[in-house]
Amino acid sequence: MTAPPIQNCGKCGLCLSVCPVYQVLKQEQASPRARLQLIKAFEKKDLDASPLLKDLVSQCLMCGACKVVCPSGINHYGKFMDMREQLARSLPEPPAIRSLVYLLAKEYRLRMGAGLARFGQRLTPKFLADKYRIGNIPVHRFPTMNAAPFRQTLPDVIPARGIRRGRVIYFVGCATQYLFGDTGQATVDILSHLGYEVVVPKGLTCCGIPMMFHGARDRAALNMAANLTAMADAFDNGPCDAVIVDCTTCGAALKDEYPGLMDTLNRRPDPALSGRLDILPPDIHTRIAGKTRDILSFVHEHQTHLEMRPDLSPNKVIYHAPCHTRNSFNTAGTVTDLLATLPCFDYIPVRDTAACCGGGGTFFYEYPEIAAKMMAGKLCHARDADAQYWLTDCPVCRINLHGSLSEQDRLTVVHPVTLISRGLDA
Amino acid sequence: MISPDLTNQFLAIVDSARWLDKKEQLFCYAYDAFVEESMPDAVIFPETTEEVSQILALASAHQLPVTARGAGTSVCGAPVPARHGLVICFSQMDRIIEINTKDRYIIVEPGVVNADVQAALAPDKFFFPPDPGSMDMSTIGGNIAQNAGGPRCLKYGVTLDYILGLEVVLASGKIITFGSKNIKDVTGYKLAALFCGSEGTLGLVTRAILKVVPLPETVKTIMATFNDLDDTATAVTDIIGSGILPAAMELMDQLTLNAIEDKAGLGLDRDAAGTLLIEVDGVAEACDKQIRQISQKLHANHAVHIQEAESAADRERLWTARRSAYGVFAKLAPDIISEDVTVPVSRVPEMVRRIIQITDKYKLKVGVLAHAGDGNMHPMIPADKSNAEEWERVMAAFDEIFRAAADLDGTLSGEHGIGLAKAKFLPLVMNQDTINFMKTIKQAVDPDGILNPGKFV
Ligand SMILES: Cc1cc2nc3c(=O)[nH]c(=O)nc-3n(C[C@H](O)[C@H](O)[C@H](O)COP(=O)(O)OP(=O)(O)OC[C@H]3O[C@@H](n4cnc5c(N)ncnc54)[C@H](O)[C@@H]3O)c2cc1C
Ligand code: SF4
Ligand code: SF4
Repeated sequence: MTAPPIQNCGKCGLCLSVCPVYQVLKQEQASPRARLQLIKAFEKKDLDASPLLKDLVSQCLMCGACKVVCPSGINHYGKFMDMREQLARSLPEPPAIRSLVYLLAKEYRLRMGAGLARFGQRLTPKFLADKYRIGNIPVHRFPTMNAAPFRQTLPDVIPARGIRRGRVIYFVGCATQYLFGDTGQATVDILSHLGYEVVVPKGLTCCGIPMMFHGARDRAALNMAANLTAMADAFDNGPCDAVIVDCTTCGAALKDEYPGLMDTLNRRPDPALSGRLDILPPDIHTRIAGKTRDILSFVHEHQTHLEMRPDLSPNKVIYHAPCHTRNSFNTAGTVTDLLATLPCFDYIPVRDTAACCGGGGTFFYEYPEIAAKMMAGKLCHARDADAQYWLTDCPVCRINLHGSLSEQDRLTVVHPVTLISRGLDA
Repeated sequence: MISPDLTNQFLAIVDSARWLDKKEQLFCYAYDAFVEESMPDAVIFPETTEEVSQILALASAHQLPVTARGAGTSVCGAPVPARHGLVICFSQMDRIIEINTKDRYIIVEPGVVNADVQAALAPDKFFFPPDPGSMDMSTIGGNIAQNAGGPRCLKYGVTLDYILGLEVVLASGKIITFGSKNIKDVTGYKLAALFCGSEGTLGLVTRAILKVVPLPETVKTIMATFNDLDDTATAVTDIIGSGILPAAMELMDQLTLNAIEDKAGLGLDRDAAGTLLIEVDGVAEACDKQIRQISQKLHANHAVHIQEAESAADRERLWTARRSAYGVFAKLAPDIISEDVTVPVSRVPEMVRRIIQITDKYKLKVGVLAHAGDGNMHPMIPADKSNAEEWERVMAAFDEIFRAAADLDGTLSGEHGIGLAKAKFLPLVMNQDTINFMKTIKQAVDPDGILNPGKFV
């Protein structure tokens, strides 16, 4: 029997230098090292579950920067998720978070919720909306819902245009499905322009990351089962060159978290999942994980096939690198390289491109003061750059960046694919 | 325990966001990068010298133990509050007050992180030479209190060599300042030497004037591998002994190199018994000449492979790997003890041999890592503290390693300090009168012994 890898924090402190929360608060209890210390104390029963303990553990963006830098190979993610799950048992999440998790857990709930929200958005009187803020973001700067859920607007298979080069599955996450249909449409356009047939499986649902981060791993596992089931057919019925995500957080779920969760479930089976995972083709989770690609590095790799309009005038753009692009996919450099190369962009590097914006799933809602401090420097540099577009490939960052700007700012926040697709030669 | 009444008096000095006294919070200030832990009763975050002065006056009046903390990266237990009491954490007192490269100094508060000093100086093409492996997180206050060094201290010297002046708050709360903005200053005792390296036992640094130097025009880095660790160590002695002075010269043995390679995947040579990472800096022609001389010596000592880093990014990768060396060892066992005995450079090969002999004798794994050019060895032993029998062997091995160093005219610590880790070994390198002299100074400056009690004085 091989011993499990040692997961031991040597307390070297290297993670302090990359943790966005520690960098803002400058108090050790807000550091990754401290969170591990607290988890250890809890496991050894030196500490009981308490609201303060929960708060200290949750004051974390789950951005993964600590995991990347840690020389001892600690899986912070896994440890933090375990801990959040254990704490959530005795100390429930606040109602707003609970209802979000509830909503995301079932596609039909989301659909209904989206319908209601769309309805609500039209009716909310402006003076009321102005008064209300979600975290630091005024309600009127929240994105409006897609007129129809994005996947409903698509055929099941979108044919390749021009020379056919292959076939990909497109995992459409909930942000694209309900909020940012523009990202989805652009992604599909680019992929078919590149010569790929795009399959959007039926029955996809939220990737499950929000539940995992809020201590509801059992629900996340149900979503995983649903997504793997949805993709399995398409994956095995024909060659699949890649499983494309437009959001690196969904990507992290497919690539890293599903295999991790499957391992855990193999060791500790969950009766609620019986009949759901055993029907899946063998190793489908690892095979999908191996093919998961983010759209921007896919474009980077195939850029020679990209035909852009000859009369393009480049857009002045700056970039915000989301945490999962940096820490899970390690492709922030690829993205900036793409921005610097493609003729649709006039890319202006800003100093803190890679600094966290404080979005972090629901972090911006739960810890608005900390999030505001993270955003402050970024806003200054972004405004100084005098660009037209602030590009980012994460929907939460997009909400957070747009929400932190004001009407006076002439910066539009979009996913880079939007500008790429606009520049394609029809 | 700190009484509610005393708590309120501290809360009259700082606002409640800068005062921690809940058990959950205190757990996070019980440790540094060493293996011993001890919890404080409260943690306070001052932002000004005045506040520090008031805090210390109050602590003195109540005989409350006070332990300073920067980033908690010490590897000897120095900021661990051995006698509990109050931890004064300087992480939020972190302003850069003045950058003046014309007069070659920078003035900072103690909580400024070393790397932030470097970043602030870089636009003017200046730098602050002390570069501990912890430079991305450790604070200037901690660097001063530990007299931190680092790879390039071989050529440039250690923290003490770069302190022009300090502002220090004494245990009584009195504020003293000494030194000046001048590179030359022999006005009175050189008090910086007293406080630098005192591990927070004599006074708390609240401001520092640091000497800075221009960045060298060129930097070149080479990596040489050997089939034999003895050859590796002899090459060091040979190079330094012949009068060549590289900026840095780091030795890694096979275990260390493999542990790094497991994490960083740089394509390092896993079969090499010994590796040297050497950096030279200065004007381009001089660098080229030095690299040629060094390469000759390396070949003469049977180096099998010599490779030069091709780009700045390449170089940075090598150094990042080197800086991760301590952390990667944590993967090998639940606990890791890293020591830093130092010997005159001509004794490096002998010291390496003895470290291997001793750890063999006690059937322990050892990684030998060294700032070899200045004889500063970092033997690292991965072990399991909860295994009493093994831990006893670890302690016995270190005991012998310290004795071996003393025997070779070496010393207990080159840069990590004494802290909790090595207090009992002081007599190996100091006679009782010398130890008493240190106690006399401590007694005079901190008569109630409230500053970092339980440490080496
Ligand atoms: C990965 C790693 C690599 C390292 N590499 C090196 C290296 O190459 N060279 C080296 O020398 N060290 C090295 N160290 C050790 C350590 O980083 C240094 O000793 C560093 O100077 C400690 O700084 P800190 O801010 O973390 O201080 P802390 O660890 O918090 O405190 C250290 C000591 O300083 C005192 N102190 C802190 N602030 C003040 C103040 N304002 N006034 C008075 N006393 C104060 C504390 O009481 C304590 O005694 C390394 C450590 C790690 C974890
Ligand atoms: S980097 Fe890893 S080993 Fe170092 S303190 Fe952080 S979690 Fe612990
Ligand atoms: S995941 Fe991000 S925010 Fe959380 S502890 Fe790690 S670095 Fe800090």
